[in-house]
Amino acid sequence: MTTTETPRFVRADGPDKVTGSGRYAADLTLTGMLTAKFLYAGVSHARITKLDVTAAKKVPGVLAVLNQADVPLVRFGSVADRTLFAHEVIRFEGEVVAAVAAIDAATAQKALDAIVFEYEELPVVNDIEAAAQPDSLLVHENWEDYAADDDVSRQGNIASFTSIARGDVETTLATADHVISSRYVADASHAVPIEPRGVVAQWEGDKLTVWSSTQVPFQARDGVCETLELPTNKVRIVVPHLGGGFGGKCGFHYEAHIAALARATRRPVRLVFSREEEFLAPDRRREGMIVEITSGLRHDGVIVARKARILLDNGAYSSDASFFPHMAVMHALGPYKIDHVYGEASSIYTNHQPSGSVRAPTAPQACWALESHTDELAKAVGMDPVAFRQLNTVDTGATGVTGQIYEEIGLQECIREAVAASAYHEDLGDDEAVGVAVGWWPSFPDASGAYIKVDSDGKGVIITGAQECGTGAVMTLPYLAAAELGMAPEDFEIVYQDTSAAPYDTGATGSQTLLNNGRATVEAAREIALQLKKLAAEELEASPEDIVLADGMASVVGSPDSSISIVDLAGIAADGEMLLGRGSGSPPESPTTPKTVSCVGDQGMNAWAGPQFSCHAVRIRLDRETGVVRVLEVNTAHDSGVIVNRVGASGQVEGGVLMGIGQALTERTVYGDDAKQKNAGLLEYKLQTMADAPPITIHFAEVYTPDMGPNGSKPIAEAPNVATAAAISNAIAKLVGRPVRLLPMTAERVWETLQDERA
Amino acid sequence: MSLAIANSIDDVLTALAGGARPIAGGTDLVVGARQGKSPLPESLIAIDRVPALSTIEQTDGHVRIGAGVTHSRLMSDPLLVERYTGLADAAALIGSPSTRNVGTIGGNVMNASPAMDTGAPLMTLGAIAELRSVSHTRQLALSDLWTGPGQTSANPDELCVCIVIPQTPAYSGSAYVRLEYRRAMEIAVVGAAASVVLTEDGTIASGRLAMTAVAPTIVELVGASEAMTGMAAVDAADVIASLASDQAVPISDLRGSDRYRRHTIGVMAARALDAAARRAGGERIGVPVNRNLGIGAAR
Ligand SMILES: Cc1cc2nc3c(=O)[nH]c(=O)nc-3n(C[C@H](O)[C@H](O)[C@H](O)COP(=O)(O)OP(=O)(O)OC[C@H]3O[C@@H](n4cnc5c(N)ncnc54)[C@H](O)[C@@H]3O)c2cc1C
Repeated sequence: MTTTETPRFVRADGPDKVTGSGRYAADLTLTGMLTAKFLYAGVSHARITKLDVTAAKKVPGVLAVLNQADVPLVRFGSVADRTLFAHEVIRFEGEVVAAVAAIDAATAQKALDAIVFEYEELPVVNDIEAAAQPDSLLVHENWEDYAADDDVSRQGNIASFTSIARGDVETTLATADHVISSRYVADASHAVPIEPRGVVAQWEGDKLTVWSSTQVPFQARDGVCETLELPTNKVRIVVPHLGGGFGGKCGFHYEAHIAALARATRRPVRLVFSREEEFLAPDRRREGMIVEITSGLRHDGVIVARKARILLDNGAYSSDASFFPHMAVMHALGPYKIDHVYGEASSIYTNHQPSGSVRAPTAPQACWALESHTDELAKAVGMDPVAFRQLNTVDTGATGVTGQIYEEIGLQECIREAVAASAYHEDLGDDEAVGVAVGWWPSFPDASGAYIKVDSDGKGVIITGAQECGTGAVMTLPYLAAAELGMAPEDFEIVYQDTSAAPYDTGATGSQTLLNNGRATVEAAREIALQLKKLAAEELEASPEDIVLADGMASVVGSPDSSISIVDLAGIAADGEMLLGRGSGSPPESPTTPKTVSCVGDQGMNAWAGPQFSCHAVRIRLDRETGVVRVLEVNTAHDSGVIVNRVGASGQVEGGVLMGIGQALTERTVYGDDAKQKNAGLLEYKLQTMADAPPITIHFAEVYTPDMGPNGSKPIAEAPNVATAAAISNAIAKLVGRPVRLLPMTAERVWETLQDERA
Repeated sequence: MSLAIANSIDDVLTALAGGARPIAGGTDLVVGARQGKSPLPESLIAIDRVPALSTIEQTDGHVRIGAGVTHSRLMSDPLLVERYTGLADAAALIGSPSTRNVGTIGGNVMNASPAMDTGAPLMTLGAIAELRSVSHTRQLALSDLWTGPGQTSANPDELCVCIVIPQTPAYSGSAYVRLEYRRAMEIAVVGAAASVVLTEDGTIASGRLAMTAVAPTIVELVGASEAMTGMAAVDAADVIASLASDQAVPISDLRGSDRYRRHTIGVMAARALDAAARRAGGERIGVPVNRNLGIGAAR
């Protein structure tokens, strides 16, 4: 086992960000640059009857007004249900109807005001249960005609569907000693990155450069190429500093709109979102969800069967959400040893903003439902909830709900350590309690590439396709390269988030950066290591296999006096065969689906590659008279394999926990009867603040995971966001006497549940 | 748009007479304009650099708090913390440190939001606003000043120069508590202030309560003093709670339903009374009560 410890991890982008000198997309200014503004539909469901931009184009200082008629009619998305601009039918309020480029914001606004936009309102699809009925009004008529990934199964308003079946659930439930059913309902929520997005586009001849605050520059590039029908080598996406994303800036958004404006005006164009736009427009928010779970138990507490039915609010378009049903089912069945399972989930079209990846999509809500249900199960058989989980959750060698047999995993260590660090076994009086929950999350092996060059002075540059969204993952790459080459991390600079400079990477999504790009970087470094060893062997008259690279030197193994510095070798190489490394390599294979499981419409993988496990124990205090819950301490334990960068990994856990507290207690998007958001701003959408942050303890169960991330690691970024709300729910239920079945568990909802319990 | 910076109260009054609007910290005015509530006025006169507006003076029987005094000062000024503690409680809850560093008492009072935090404690402390124009100076009780959400009876050419609070008697104490869902950047869901004077045996000699965010303006609890005089504070809590719930006319909005507000205003009123009485009895409860007793958000 090798561990690359980075005790003194210094973020290369830290000083820039802390001192304010860092430049974000909104800070860019180009000569002659115009300001873009969008006309949004402002109505949730309507048929466009008139769109006339003649007057808008005549406003002095307006250089372009575009709508769908001005761009190719290309549908895109994981189900190809979306067009760049509204086309015939409006399906959610944030749909872009027209885009304006003008000399300044006030002029652009005048142009928007001059656009004649008329429509005939249609009844809204606002409720997922009603929308799931076969006779419901359809959000997309004839949408079977849209192209989609092969596995998407669809009918009515069901945008995607998954079922997972193993064993014989009904018979087993019929003979179980206890059968418990629960229903939980989660509101939609948002990613809320601190930086509202910015996009700047500029053409030089037929070549386009777009500076965009995206988490996934290559996906953004592909979206531009698809919708504007351009080859990939003509489009370059560059990401300046990114002010957070949390999934909200995954996917392809407005790069093509701004590129089209820039092309039409022959000027650079910049779009900067307001906070309200950031809430209303992007096809990314955390989906609302209804989760129904039934479990059958033996008297001794063993879970014998489980079934789950989940409805997800897909919103108006599918963006990347078509794999969500699969994820939701896996989270509702959970990391348990159950032989008889049936789970199904449908993502339902509505006239809401589209759902899309937000940090651990589907997991916080589905895990909250399952783990709250689990405490109900423990109560039914009179068992301690922790002991109940220890009895029923998977361990090394165990078979999970889909039949996957787990190699070495650390879930039991996580449960033990999180609980041990907590006050779970202490008497906390009437108003405090500790709740415990477990969670899991897959790893996503994927293609990813990096180059490394080492120049004549022995200094290196890592040119990577990876994207930094604030996690520090990209800034960990020099530590990996340095370890392979016997150099110092400070010897490396990084060129990143530029699609024309570097090879492909999926982006800051799916917790995949270190997993996939880390491997690519190590591979690239190993190519240089081979070159250095060959050179050193020539210089030192030894065989390349006998050369070791350490502390900036190449030495012959066993004779340390026979050595040459890497700087000298770099100087020699610069005059001939240069030190250039490349890495991509095939991603680790995902485990195969066991034959015992049948699935339909499967968009994920039933056997999860490199599954990460976690246990969170949360201590809360409840103000019984008001229902206000305050989180006092969170004790976490994570199996994310060997930890490569402890500072970075801990930051992910802390951030994930805080985001989880927000989801648990305060963060919700409220829809009106008109299917429009009622709280699209930070005044009424309540994030947690630093003043609310509790002490957080972290234990890493460092199980060496072969054939996954570098050095036996697994990812970490999304996993900490899975189990926090669930653990808080269980603490609340202990104090209230029953769970709060709505997420977030707002003070008022807790108080109402207290009233119900008293009645 | 024009912005001038005043150095003296006279500068300000002249500008107001010419149609300008005063801007102090700008945390309501500018933030509201950015949110599209109402556009920035055509002509602004900045009053934050007028020394005479940022003094705290003790005079015979009164304390005069300049309209330009910031919340940061209100929450830490030794005299206010000692004798007008409810006001300090409220100031300490406002926004974030940066909001408190620029936001002023005058801005808070003249903005007249029904959810404003300094309003309820000021009312229970018997504060009056001193308004001045080029032609006159007048003093107005707060209940006469606030006429509706965001509305005051002040004329556009009148500047609030200071808030005048009568000296508090011996054996008195005050407190402000608010229901909040998080511990910074919060707006009162409901809030309550209490000022009480105790007799030597510890029962209530007199007292006042006022409520935040349950009516179009900050409102005083009618009949509170009569209801609790002669009682021990602990025994008065229930009476005051139901009085508050009865008199509240809350709305339902994203922050809470009317039913929930009606219940929690009673809880806050009882807690404000409890803390004020304990302070009157000599107990030191740090500012703000919310943090030190875990009121509102549990500890
Ligand atoms: C992030 C944030 C959090 C906040 N949190 C809270 C909170 O928790 N509780 C709370 O009560 N408020 C809160 N506020 C609102 C605001 O900060 C306070 O009301 C503050 O006291 C306003 O003072 P100001 O000096 O900034 O007023 P300004 O914005 O300068 O002025 C407000 C209004 O009063 C008028 N005005 C100002 N001074 C005078 C004067 N001397 N005479 C006559 N008219 C005058 C102005 O013309 C304007 O109409 C918050 C605001 C923000 C931005």
